Amino acid sequence: MSLLELRNLTKRYGGIVAVNGVSMTVEPGEVRAVIGPNGAGKTSLFHLITGVVKATEGEVLFDGQRVTAMPAFGRCQLGMSRTFQITALFPEMSARENTSLAAQARDKQRWLPLGGQAVFAEAARRGDAALERLGLTHVAHRPAGLLSHGDQRLLEVAMALAQQPRLLLMDEPTQGLSVEETAQAVEVLGSLFAAGGLTVLLVEHDMEVVFRLATKMTVLHRGTVIADGQPDAVKADPAVQDAYLGGYA
Amino acid sequence: MRTTLAVAALLALMPLGLPPYAMTLLTEALIMGLFAMSLDLMVGYARLISFGHAAAYGLGAYTCGNILLHTDIPLPFAVLLSGLFSGTVSIGVAWVCTQATGVSFSMLTLAFAQLLYAVAFKWTDATGASDGLAGIPRRPGPFGTTFFASKIGFYYLTMACLFGGFLFARALVRSPFGAVLRGIRENEAKTLSLGYNTRLYKIAVVAASYMLGGMAGALYAPFAGFANTELLFWLLSGQVLIMVIVGGTGTLVGPILGAAFFLFVQQQLSIYTDSWALFFGVIFIGFVLFAPQGILGLARRGRPTEQHR
Repeated sequence: MSLLELRNLTKRYGGIVAVNGVSMTVEPGEVRAVIGPNGAGKTSLFHLITGVVKATEGEVLFDGQRVTAMPAFGRCQLGMSRTFQITALFPEMSARENTSLAAQARDKQRWLPLGGQAVFAEAARRGDAALERLGLTHVAHRPAGLLSHGDQRLLEVAMALAQQPRLLLMDEPTQGLSVEETAQAVEVLGSLFAAGGLTVLLVEHDMEVVFRLATKMTVLHRGTVIADGQPDAVKADPAVQDAYLGGYA
Repeated sequence: MRTTLAVAALLALMPLGLPPYAMTLLTEALIMGLFAMSLDLMVGYARLISFGHAAAYGLGAYTCGNILLHTDIPLPFAVLLSGLFSGTVSIGVAWVCTQATGVSFSMLTLAFAQLLYAVAFKWTDATGASDGLAGIPRRPGPFGTTFFASKIGFYYLTMACLFGGFLFARALVRSPFGAVLRGIRENEAKTLSLGYNTRLYKIAVVAASYMLGGMAGALYAPFAGFANTELLFWLLSGQVLIMVIVGGTGTLVGPILGAAFFLFVQQQLSIYTDSWALFFGVIFIGFVLFAPQGILGLARRGRPTEQHR
């Protein structure tokens, strides 16, 4: 069974159709990139999947369960963790407190109003493991707001990983990074994905990044899926070249 | 913990050395301290800026006044019951107010407090309307003791409520629940996206805040012997917010100091002028501009900052 399935998903804002009857799946273990030119509906689609906005029509199924009407925090509790296009952290907390708070969200006793040392200990353990996976241990005690931009982006990924997600959703993971920082981030993410065990859906417009990271691609154009498959096949697709890739391939 | 005990011991010794009028002032300062600390739970830990915290105080005061006037329930229990009542009512209030965020949230809290203010004027049976409730007694008990009805005993009761409230609030902000509140304070959207139902956390902290604020109001009614609509008025909401900011938000201890400072300055300035509020306003502006961390921040300045958990 697909981990994530979208059925005829549509979002209209007044007369504007941002997402138009999108059907696609994400299978366990794959790293799928959703690409498309500006205004193709990538971000709207991302919002529909994470539950930030409600679909006008269609269904979102997560592991066979219908989550179309479920709020964002509920979807996260099912195992969908996300990163933001514009880095979203707790700037005054240390990197370690950031990942710890992320991990705590997965604890059944996350709301405990008194005591809770065991909850903190378990959350810190998972958080530290995530920091280590992304090579951030050396900045663990620094306030998140003072980290370099590249480290901040990786910290956000660490926070998502600390939740041990079944599906990792990434909104433009290299957005706003310099050329060197992008190369670094791609390297870290590439080895993270290569290690296996993760299912990822990422939205990205940087082609270099996409071809380095993704095992599957979905191409959006004006809110509609125009191609879907292996990166090489998608790259060769004339419709895709026409709509988007231009001279790239 | 050692500091807390030392301060408690010091306050416990006060009745030995202070004249009665100073004890009256000190008791009022502790009541206000509890009130300001309760607001800090919302303002300092979850960035829920309430412009209507007098609602908690007035609710507690009127509830306690009615219990003491019409039942035989001993004073300490009446205070606890009033706090619980105020906290329970606030769940409904918070459910409405947390539909909004930021300034809209603040306006809704103000609107609710003003609503209660208007109700207090009309509901003569329960509130005595513009006359208020007068002659509120300090019922003896429990177990036949008349200690808490005495001036000194009432002081110790107030102290117990303040320290009990403080230990409760501190445990709350250091718990996993408190960690989520800090997340909401720094980035609510992110906290939500991590899988926390942030609205429930906000409603819960408002309830805890109103419970402690209600206890403070409940202590005030038998302290002053009356309860009137001023206890629900927006002026009090503004004053307690000033106490929190001047004392230092997000510290629990700071607002207690802020309340004592406010009452002390009010007391001293009003000897010389009726326009004491004008001068306090200047002090307040000074704090906001030059010491935004408040009194406690000034006291801690130069020392390594401790981790607030």
